Amino acid sequence: MSEVKTVTLTVDGRTVRAAEGTNLLRAAAAAGIDIPHFCFHPAFEAEGSCRMCLVEIEGLPKLELACATVVREGLIVRTATDRVREARRAVLEFLLAEHPLDCPICDKAGECKLQDYYDAHGRFPGRFVEPREKRDKLVAIGRGLVLDRERCILCTRCVRFLRKVTRTGELGVFERGVRAEIGTYGDDPVDQRLLRQSRRHLSRRGHHRYGLPVQDAGLVPGTASVGLSALRPRVRRRRRVRDRISPPRCSRGCAVVVESVTGYPLGPGERRVFRIRAGENPAVNGPWICDLGRAGRRDIDEGRLTAVTDKAATGGTVLWRKAVADLAAHIRAVPGAERPARIAVVLNSFMTCEELALARRIFKEGLGLGGVFIADPPPGSGDGWLLTAERVPNARGVLEAGFTPRLPDLDVLARSTGILIVFGPYLSGNFPAGTAARVLSPVAVKYLFTSRAVPDDRLADVAVPVAVPAERSGTYINVDGLRQTFRQAVAPPQGIPSEHEILVGLAHGLGLGVGEPDAG
Amino acid sequence: RLLEGMIIAAFAVGIGTAVVYVRGEYERIAGRLRDAIAEAEAAGFLGRGIFGTAFGLDVIIHFGAGAYICGEETALLESVEGRRGQPRLKPPFPAVVGLFGAPTVINNVETLASVPAIIGRGADWFTRLGQPKDCGTRLFGVSGAVRRPGLYELATGTPLRTIIEEHAGGPPDGIAIKAVIPGGLSAPLLRADELETPMDFDSLAKVCSMIGSAGIIVIGDRTPILDVLAVTARFYAHESCGQCTPCRIGTSWIHKTVTRIAAGRGRSSDLDLILELTGGMKGRTLCPMGDAAALPIQAMVAKFRDELEQAVGR
Repeated sequence: MSEVKTVTLTVDGRTVRAAEGTNLLRAAAAAGIDIPHFCFHPAFEAEGSCRMCLVEIEGLPKLELACATVVREGLIVRTATDRVREARRAVLEFLLAEHPLDCPICDKAGECKLQDYYDAHGRFPGRFVEPREKRDKLVAIGRGLVLDRERCILCTRCVRFLRKVTRTGELGVFERGVRAEIGTYGDDPVDQRLLRQSRRHLSRRGHHRYGLPVQDAGLVPGTASVGLSALRPRVRRRRRVRDRISPPRCSRGCAVVVESVTGYPLGPGERRVFRIRAGENPAVNGPWICDLGRAGRRDIDEGRLTAVTDKAATGGTVLWRKAVADLAAHIRAVPGAERPARIAVVLNSFMTCEELALARRIFKEGLGLGGVFIADPPPGSGDGWLLTAERVPNARGVLEAGFTPRLPDLDVLARSTGILIVFGPYLSGNFPAGTAARVLSPVAVKYLFTSRAVPDDRLADVAVPVAVPAERSGTYINVDGLRQTFRQAVAPPQGIPSEHEILVGLAHGLGLGVGEPDAG
Repeated sequence: RLLEGMIIAAFAVGIGTAVVYVRGEYERIAGRLRDAIAEAEAAGFLGRGIFGTAFGLDVIIHFGAGAYICGEETALLESVEGRRGQPRLKPPFPAVVGLFGAPTVINNVETLASVPAIIGRGADWFTRLGQPKDCGTRLFGVSGAVRRPGLYELATGTPLRTIIEEHAGGPPDGIAIKAVIPGGLSAPLLRADELETPMDFDSLAKVCSMIGSAGIIVIGDRTPILDVLAVTARFYAHESCGQCTPCRIGTSWIHKTVTRIAAGRGRSSDLDLILELTGGMKGRTLCPMGDAAALPIQAMVAKFRDELEQAVGR
C-alpha cells in the first residue's frame, strides 16, 4: 500500500485536510463546504467551462477555479467573499439570460442546480430584454433520450461521458458562441453501439446502455446539469432517499440511491419508487450504474404478489403467519426419518447471506433435508464493464452458505416428495412453460414464497407474498467476492414479510432453536 | 527569415517537427510559405541531416478553418490535432503538455522571424533598437483613416503619432483622428489626446491598453463610435467559441444590446449594463478571449460615454 500524503489548507477559515492531488472542490466538499458548480463531475478531469466554482485564493490576483485547483499545503481559500459572490451572481445571470423560465413544467424542477444556486446566490431581477435564442426542444438523440436545447446549459457532461467512459462518442458540441449546442454526428443516435466494438470480448446482441450522468438527475440515464434528456415526464411528489442498496439485477453490487415517494397515498398506476440512480462506490461502480440497474425500480413496484393465495381456503384473507404455521404443521406431520426424502426446498440467489444462513440451519441442520435446490433466472450477457452475465446478486452467498446451485429433477421430485417449499418465482421459468406445474401436480403440499405474481402460479397450493430486496436489509457477496451490507430502501407494503421473517416464523413453528439471526 | 528562425529555435530546443498554423483564408500567403519550404528543402536547410549534422527538421503547414479563437495557443493546438478549436484549461501549459501531449514551443511568426537577425548581428545590436525593456522592432500594420495604410517595421517605442502621421501619411483631408486602436481589436482604444504614447508594452499599459498584435486602426471623426462598438461586439459574439459561460453569453448579450441601441431602441441603463456585463467577463473566462472582448468594449463606453449617451437617447 502506498502512503497517501495529506496536505492541510484553509477554506473559509476552517482547517481542511485532504489527500495530495485532490482538487479543491472535492476537498472543500469533504469538509462540508459546498462550492457551487455545474460542469465538474468527479469521474472526469476538470472542464472549467461553467465558471461557477470560482473562488479566491490568497496570493493570486484573479479568482481561480476550485475544480481545476489541486490542493497544496498552506493554501488559503475563501469561497464566500463579495468578489466570489459577485462572480457567481454574474455566471448565474449569464446562464439565466438565455434559459427559458419554464420551471413549472420542467421535469428537472426541484432538483435543479440552476434553481438551487439562483435561490442561494442569485436573487436578482432579470434585466435581459433581448430576444432569446430560438433553439430546438424535444430533439430525439437516441433511444429514450430527448434533448431540450433551450434548457441545456452546455455543461458537456453527456459529451464527456460518451467520449471518456463508454468511449462511443456519439455526442459533440456544434456551432460556436451563443449558438453552440449539443448534437449527434449526422443521424447516428446515441446508442453506445461502439461499446461492444471497443470491448470486443463481450460483443453480443442486446447490448445495453449506461445513463448519461446528467448532474445526478438520473434522467434517463443522466449527465446534463440542467434540463437535458428526460425519458418521459415524471410526476413526483415527496421523496426520500436511502442509499447503499444494490440493485439486484446482476452480481456487481453497485451502490445505488433509491428515490421514492412517501407520505402520500398513491393513485392508480403510481409507483412508490420513481427512480434508482447511481450511488458512489469507488471499489465497485465509481459513480455509474447501468440502465438495467436503473430499470430495477420496476421490480419494486410492478407485478407484485400482494396477498396470500390459498387454493384450499374458502373466502377471507389468509395472513402470512397462518400460512407459515400451516406449513410448519405439515412438516411436523412427517416423521423425522422420512423428512429427507419427503420434503424438498428450492431457494434462490436473491436471498441475503443472513436468510441463507437461516435456511441452512432450518432445512439442512434442523430437518436434515438433502433436497435443497437453487432456482434462479437464466444468465444474460455481461457488457465487459459493470453488468455481469450473472443476473442474480448473491450467487457467492449461496456457495458460502454451503448450498450447491442446482435445479431439481422435476420427475424425481414429483415421485418422492410430499412437501415442496419454493422461495422465489424462478423455478417454473427454468423449464418449458407449464411443465413445472404439470409435473409437480402429484406433490401433496406446495408452498411458494415470492415477491412476484408468477403466471405459472398453479404450481403452488399456497403462495405467500414476500418483500423484494429493496425492502430488506442484509448482506450480498458480489461477483468479486466483496461482502456488502445494505439497508432497507423502502418499506414493504403492509402485511408483506421478508423471507427472513418467513424463515424465523417457520423455525419457531418447528420448535427449532435458531436463536437470533446472524449479526448483520 | 521565418523558416530560418524556426530552424534555429528547433535546433536550440531539439525539435524535429515544426508546424506553421495559417488561417484558412490566407491561401496566398500559404502558397508563398509552401514555395519557401520547398526551396529550403531543395537547398538542404530543411529535412534530414541539415548541413551534414544529425539535426533534422520538417515544417508542416496547417490550415485553420477561420476562427479567431485558434490564435489562442491551446485552441490552436486543438485545431492542429484535428479537433474543434477550443481553448484548453491551463495548467498544464503547452511547454509541458502541448501538441499531441508533447512539450511544445509556441511562438508568433513575428517573434521567430526576428531570431535570425538577433543571432546574426548579436544581442547588443538588437537591444539598442527600440526601448531598453522592450527592444527590437515591431511590424505595425496601419489601417483605417490614413493616407498610406500598410505594414511598417519600426523600432518599439516609436510614438503612435509618428507612425500614423509620418509613416502612414496621416488622415485624409478633412478628417481628424477621433480614436486609435493601437494593437488589434482586443486592445482598448486611445483617444486623440493619447497619440503621443510610445508603442511599447509599458507605455501602453500606462494608458490601460496594450501593444497586442501592433495592428493600428485609425478611427476618423466621421465614424460614430457606436459603429465601432457595434462592429467590435458583433465580432466577439461571432468568434466566441461558446465553451465557457461568461464569454458565450456575455458577448452575445452585449451584441444584442448594442444592436438594439443602433436600431434606435436604446435605454438609458444600457451603457451601465454593458459595463457590468464586461465586468462579469473580465478575468473570469477560460481563456484570454473574455478579456479580449471585455476590455476594448469597456474602453469604448468609458472614453466615449458622452457620444454614446446621445446615441442611446436619440
